[in-house]
Amino acid sequence: MRRYFGRKLLTYLMTFFVAATIDWLIPRFMPGDPVAQLVSRSNGISPEQAKALVDYYTRLFGLDKPLPVQYLNFWNSLIHGDLGLSVYGHGTPVTDMIMAAVPYTLALLIPAILLSWWAGNTFGAMAARRKWLDNTALPVGYVLTATPYMWLALVLSFVLAFSFRLFPLSGGYGFNLEPTFTWLFFTDLVAHWVLPFLSLFLVQFGGWAIGMRNMIIYELESDYSRYLEALGAPQGLIRKYAFRNAMLPQITGLALQLGVVVSGSLVTEIVFSYPGVGHLVFAAIQSNDYFLLQGIFMFIIIGVLLANFIVDIVYVVVDPRTRVAMRGGTA
Amino acid sequence: MHLGRYRVLALLAAASIVASACGSSSATSTVAPSTGTTTATATPAAAASATGLPATDTTVYPRAETLYTSGKQWGAPSTWNPFDGNSAMGVVGLQYETLFLYDPIKDAYTPWLASGGSWDSGKTTYTINVRQGVTWSDGSAMTAADVAFSINIYQNAALGSTLFTFVDKVVANGNDVVVTFKGTPAYQEWMQALYNMPIVPAAVWTPLNTADILKSLNMKGIGTGPYTYKTAAQDRMVWVKNPTWWATKALGLTVAPTYIVDIVNSSNNVALGQLLAGGLDLDNNYLPGIAQIVNGGYGVTTYFAAAPYMLGGNTAWLIPNTQKKPLDDAAFRRALAEAIDPNNVVVKDYGNIVAVADPTGLLPVWTKYIDAAQVKSLGATFNTAKAKADLAAAGYKLGSDGFVTNKDGSAIKLNLEVPDGWSDWMAAETLIATDAKAAGININPTHPDYGTVVNDRNGTSTAAPIFDLVINNDVQIGNTPWVYYDYIFRQPQIAAGAARNRNYEQYDNKDAWALVQKLDQTPVDDLATMKSICSQLQKIQLTNEPVIPLWYNGEWSQVNNSVWTNWPSDKGAQVQPATWNGYWQMGAIYMLTNIKPVKAS
Amino acid sequence: MTAEFDPTMSPAAGDAEKAPTPKAKRARGEFLFFALRSKKFVVSVSILLFLILLAIFGPMIDTNDPLALGDLPMRQPTLDPGNWFGTTYFGEDVFAQFVNGLRASFFVGLLGGGLGALIGMMVGFVAGYRGGWIDEVLNMVTNVFLVIPTLAVLLVITSYLQARGVMFEAIFIGATSWPWAARAIRAQTFSLRSRDFIDLAKLSGRSGPKVIVFEIAPNMSSYLFLTYILLFGGAILIAASLDFIGLGPTGGMSLGLMMYNAVTWAALQLGVWWWFIPPGIGIIAAVGSLYVMNVGLDEIFNPKLRDI
Repeated sequence: MRRYFGRKLLTYLMTFFVAATIDWLIPRFMPGDPVAQLVSRSNGISPEQAKALVDYYTRLFGLDKPLPVQYLNFWNSLIHGDLGLSVYGHGTPVTDMIMAAVPYTLALLIPAILLSWWAGNTFGAMAARRKWLDNTALPVGYVLTATPYMWLALVLSFVLAFSFRLFPLSGGYGFNLEPTFTWLFFTDLVAHWVLPFLSLFLVQFGGWAIGMRNMIIYELESDYSRYLEALGAPQGLIRKYAFRNAMLPQITGLALQLGVVVSGSLVTEIVFSYPGVGHLVFAAIQSNDYFLLQGIFMFIIIGVLLANFIVDIVYVVVDPRTRVAMRGGTA
Repeated sequence: MHLGRYRVLALLAAASIVASACGSSSATSTVAPSTGTTTATATPAAAASATGLPATDTTVYPRAETLYTSGKQWGAPSTWNPFDGNSAMGVVGLQYETLFLYDPIKDAYTPWLASGGSWDSGKTTYTINVRQGVTWSDGSAMTAADVAFSINIYQNAALGSTLFTFVDKVVANGNDVVVTFKGTPAYQEWMQALYNMPIVPAAVWTPLNTADILKSLNMKGIGTGPYTYKTAAQDRMVWVKNPTWWATKALGLTVAPTYIVDIVNSSNNVALGQLLAGGLDLDNNYLPGIAQIVNGGYGVTTYFAAAPYMLGGNTAWLIPNTQKKPLDDAAFRRALAEAIDPNNVVVKDYGNIVAVADPTGLLPVWTKYIDAAQVKSLGATFNTAKAKADLAAAGYKLGSDGFVTNKDGSAIKLNLEVPDGWSDWMAAETLIATDAKAAGININPTHPDYGTVVNDRNGTSTAAPIFDLVINNDVQIGNTPWVYYDYIFRQPQIAAGAARNRNYEQYDNKDAWALVQKLDQTPVDDLATMKSICSQLQKIQLTNEPVIPLWYNGEWSQVNNSVWTNWPSDKGAQVQPATWNGYWQMGAIYMLTNIKPVKAS
Repeated sequence: MTAEFDPTMSPAAGDAEKAPTPKAKRARGEFLFFALRSKKFVVSVSILLFLILLAIFGPMIDTNDPLALGDLPMRQPTLDPGNWFGTTYFGEDVFAQFVNGLRASFFVGLLGGGLGALIGMMVGFVAGYRGGWIDEVLNMVTNVFLVIPTLAVLLVITSYLQARGVMFEAIFIGATSWPWAARAIRAQTFSLRSRDFIDLAKLSGRSGPKVIVFEIAPNMSSYLFLTYILLFGGAILIAASLDFIGLGPTGGMSLGLMMYNAVTWAALQLGVWWWFIPPGIGIIAAVGSLYVMNVGLDEIFNPKLRDI
């Protein structure tokens, strides 16, 4: 057990190190001067004022130090949780900007991933059992999983928000409210959350439903299922075992799906101007704010690695064969 | 039984959902006491009853008392320092005010925090009469010492101001501030400063007046203005009315909205959606399709009811790099100017919400400085045949591919750069390229990302500017056309790099610069002299075409009349309808005192 | 911005150690027999063929330049020649944009998916066949690629390139979407390599690469084909996303670019639904039919899954 997790941890740490270094390198390779860009966006100022601003920001971002020093500073700051300063935020710490946006993104991603996973798998299992469901409702799953996230977001926004005014068009919470622990604020928050959540949920739901359905059918055709059937076991029992076996690749799939969903949430947040991490990435892209991008991606790297690690643990908990394999036996 | 494992997983899932929901409701910093309102709904378009709490404590803003604006703030409000050009919407104008207001339409200076100002007979000393009875938002009185301090602060090198290159001393004297100058005062720049310098309390800012002055964020600043800081978040800036604003007693003015919520721009189409849905009252973004919308019965109006719909706020110029062949040849530039039809862009790209620029490029408010007769005889107008003729006469032969070549036979291919994502300019450059092609000039429209355009245009510390052509509209409307001529003719050339933001075309003309400096040193009320100098400058400009004026970019402003009415218009109150930096003190503040709620709150 | 891990693929990808049914060689006739009986296969292939024909011949039917600014902005579609899908804010012909965009999207899918499949196969085969420390190293490389935000890399590269073509986008997608394919192929190779016929090949003196190419790959041919189809579909979706945030090719037209333009020019707010609905439906039809075809083919190849 310890060796298994130890090796996994080592792999993750090495991956983290490599990914972090690449992440740090990226802004340094980009041509152009972020400070020059930032200053040129304040138009109408005199050249002398511009020069003063340039000096100020260059000092602020530490761009005047040699590269190896910058690299060491990077790791030093990272350990202290300091991801640098944002050009887009005129010097606001990147950590602050990310932390303000993270709750929104997590509020979208976690329910969307987990609920769609659970609902999709349940529905897929049901469709595998019932032929009529398989032929009528499941094709919807194919359509959903082939739908680009932003297109679904656009359509939902157009129909439900713009045409029927059922939900707000954009934003995290109403512009007439301030964050308080009141029921009013909470319902407003949820109202703004529904459409972005639906966009993410529906697309993933389709994918999981189809995957589960295929896995169950595959399991039902396997040797042990046929054997149980020949023995006269009740259908329910066979399905139960089939379901359990089908779950395993779905759990692995969850880990692999994370990267895709993060990019899906990026475009969804753009369509709805939902103030999450994806929206911040988009703003950073538009202002060429390398430090903000670097910080966000570091955050995403850590998040994805962490989630993968959790899924590995869950996998060990759920699949007894891995435990046997760890002890040196064969399944 | 393995059910237990699944139960655990399900519980974990449920817990995380609950945790994330809790997390998001405490997303931002200010948590105010909860109120007892019941009727407000999720969208800002709903009306709500007043709460009975003082305005600064409420956390739900009644619709009829709130003004929703957008258009200035690209990016989360991150500083409220009035000396930082990136400060949030309204810091200078709503929270901090200036000595005078300037009205570009009337070309008049209105005393504001100053009750008056005058020159001595020799026009070398300026006396500012500081208005009495003005209080800071913390209750203390504004004095002449505060005013003197606010002007002297520009000696701080960190602010990079050129004020003290021509100002000598600023001294408080009783209720006045006396300003003396070095040599001939730069009258135009001085008058510009008078309506742009924010007046700040000396008590607060004296300890902050160091090399790190820009570092202080000044979140809950103390100013004289009609609004004070309420709250800010990643996507909004909220101001609340200052009940002790001096202008109510002194000038009988009251600002109508209790709250101003400025929404951070995410994208123009989102702003359009909010405007149409009634969630925005005033939008200062460029909105595609606005001409159709104004006529579409949505209750949205603009300053003009018909074309050009918008006031002109700046000019879009086609800037050639005059250090490169063949753009160093004035004859070629002239032919280029004649080859392009800005009207094409105005109609096809903008749908008539902008107007074609005068050949001098000067904005409509400066019409009196335009030498019309000279423009008629010297100005370049769109004429493809003439462009072709001029090219031939100047020695540029037409090649077999239909494009003219250099005099030495080498091919001419000019890259026109606009920033990627600036969709209206991207469409415009395609039209310009097509026009030029008809006359034989090969222009290649490109749209690299913003940073690359800036680098190509400004050059870097290691490379000179490498661009061929760019479109630029940096310099905005102001109290004098001097701002434009400074932009065109600035000498000496500013070193390549981030601070370079004048004379992008690298045009060297010592006579022109001498005239520009002379213009600067002409008193603003000496119309005759100003006109004469402008006429000479225009002659140089029209014969040499160092920059080519295209169209007047609009002071984008569209309003929704469903909650607030009596907006600025050319038939009504002729005030500036923009929330951009610098416009409050050009009279936009009157917009807030003029508007009325549609329903009495 | 990694490729879709697609759960529609069976058998399981990832760490599950299930052995697939060895796919025996099928006679052409037998394949066709089952193919035509599979509703999924027939319907999806028909839709796909229709779209491909549209992509090839569409621009010849409607010869308008998709980027030509017209005089009739925002015209509603009337479904007659010259105005099939209406016009955009600038008067551009939406149908012309659609068919040209379809071409570009298919091109990116074909090339990007192909490149991804190639890299995935190389990495997966070598890792699965060799095992040992090569496997560990390749595993780590795969993990790094999975975790790196490809968006950041794309940003750097695009800031160097003034103009980006469809080719570049296809190469980029191929170079970043291979990890899950590599994982899946590795798992399959792993289970195949302990088979008897592999031992026989090794005894006959076949070298490593030859074993992979001539023994393992043909046994997995249907699996590889299905992987390619999924990569194809995934590449189309990724390309659409990249175009949508403005990081796509700088010239030309694509379906994602249509959506980007539609959103930027307020099609949503101005009610110009015919600008963004067709590209979305085009993508859904193309990718959806690919996925359904994938499942249909799986049923055809794997007799255990057929429901006859």
